[in-house]
This record gives sequence, C-alpha cells and structure tokens, in this order.
Amino acid sequence: MTPQTPVNKAENAAAEAQPKDTRNTGPGRLLITVYAVFAISATARAGYQILTKFSEAPLAYLLSAFAALVYVVATVSLAKAGRTWFKVSVAAVLVELVGVLVVGALSIFDSVNFPHETVWSLFGRGYAFIPLLLPILGLVWLYRRRPTPKLG
Amino acid sequence: MDAYFYIILAVGLLSTIICTAAGIMKKAPNDTTILSVAAVELALLVYLVGSIVRVASGEQIVGEAWEFWGYLVTALILPVGAVYWSVLERTRWSNFVLAAVGVTAVVMAARMNQIWY
Repeated sequence: MTPQTPVNKAENAAAEAQPKDTRNTGPGRLLITVYAVFAISATARAGYQILTKFSEAPLAYLLSAFAALVYVVATVSLAKAGRTWFKVSVAAVLVELVGVLVVGALSIFDSVNFPHETVWSLFGRGYAFIPLLLPILGLVWLYRRRPTPKLG
Repeated sequence: MDAYFYIILAVGLLSTIICTAAGIMKKAPNDTTILSVAAVELALLVYLVGSIVRVASGEQIVGEAWEFWGYLVTALILPVGAVYWSVLERTRWSNFVLAAVGVTAVVMAARMNQIWY
C-alpha cells in the first residue's frame, strides 16, 4: 500500500490504518474479472441496441443501459480500496441483485411488455445464469472482506 | 460453425482446463498457463486475419458487420487484459482469472459465427 500519486488525505489515512480494506485480492480478482467482462459486453450491447433500434423497445434498451452502468460501477468499486468504495460496491451489487430478480420475474410473468432481451431477462438465462449468480457471490465476498468497525 | 470457431473451441477449452487445473493445484500463473492464454490470443488473431482476407476478397457478412468486428476486437483485448491482471497478483486465483479467458473466447467466437452466417 504505497501510493505513488498524491491522493485524498482521508483516503490515504484510511488505507494506512486498514491495510486489508481491499477487495481486489485472491478470489476477488476473479470476481472483478467476471464483472469486467459483463461490464464490457453489457455496455457494448446496450450501446448497439440504443444506436440502432432504440425505438423498437425503449424500455428494454434503457434497462440494458442501466444494467451496463451497474456492472461498470460494480467492477470499478470492487477494484478500489477503502470504506467508501466498499459502500459503493454493496449498493451496486444490491441494485444488481434486485435488478436481475425483478427483470427476471417481469420477463416471465409479463412477457408482453418485456419481449426484448436484456442481460437480466429470464434471470440471465442467455448468459448461463451468471447474472443471477454474480451478485450472490459478490455479496458473500463483500461480507467476508467488510471493513473493520472504526476505532474511536 | 466454421473452422475458425472449432480452432478457438479446441484452444479455448484446453486453455481453460489447463488454467483451472493449475488453480485447483494451488499454483500461481506460470509459463504453461500464460502460454495457453497466449494460444487463445493467437487463435483469435488467426480469426482476425482470416476475416479480413475474406471481407477483402468480397465475402459478405450476413449480420451486422460492425457488431462482428466489435466482438472480435473485444475478444482480442480480453487475453491481454487477463494476463496483465493475473501477473499483478500471482496467486492461484489468478489462474482462475486466466481460465475465464478460454470459455469467454469460445462463447464470443460462437456469437461471431452466428453474425457472420
């Protein structure tokens, strides 16, 4: 933990006080890799859908873009150290879990309004259910690497 | 599915098996696992060169051309990124990171084939 570039003082102090407050180590690196692949593919897919056929299904494609954003935020925050990034990670992964559950359920029970594919449709079946598995593994990992309570 | 797909299927799965096995055996990334990922990159480069030659000689991509090239370029970046990410922290987990490259490449090659034909 030796920052070569000048960083925020508070963040620096926090990093020194808690050298273990990172999630980009061990299994976390695999998790971040999978998140990164999803961030890239979801962003590319959403960008493609919005640029070429947005009027066909605005809701589904906006949802695609939102999912892409969530994956990007999750990837970046998981790779960063510190308490603030931990909170961002928890928020992003929770939003992802709610997203895949709600969109997954809607795509089954209300297939008329959700006929177009998103990453989260049918609980991510088009992606081998990894979108459903990922937030669960993410929460387990975040819990295991949660920052220790502040002293004083 | 064409020969390019089957080459990537074979090389990609082999790489994933090698890297997963190394990870299970608690090894850090070594020459074998990194070279297996390099082989995936090579197979993708063959696909790239082959595709350029085919388009140059007048063959038409049935699906969206730029979607095809988008997949191919992304697939080419993945092995490089994964190797970089894995050598930054050389633990057994980095071999699982490398293992993800092979299967991802296979899935992307399958999609590229669908777009092409």
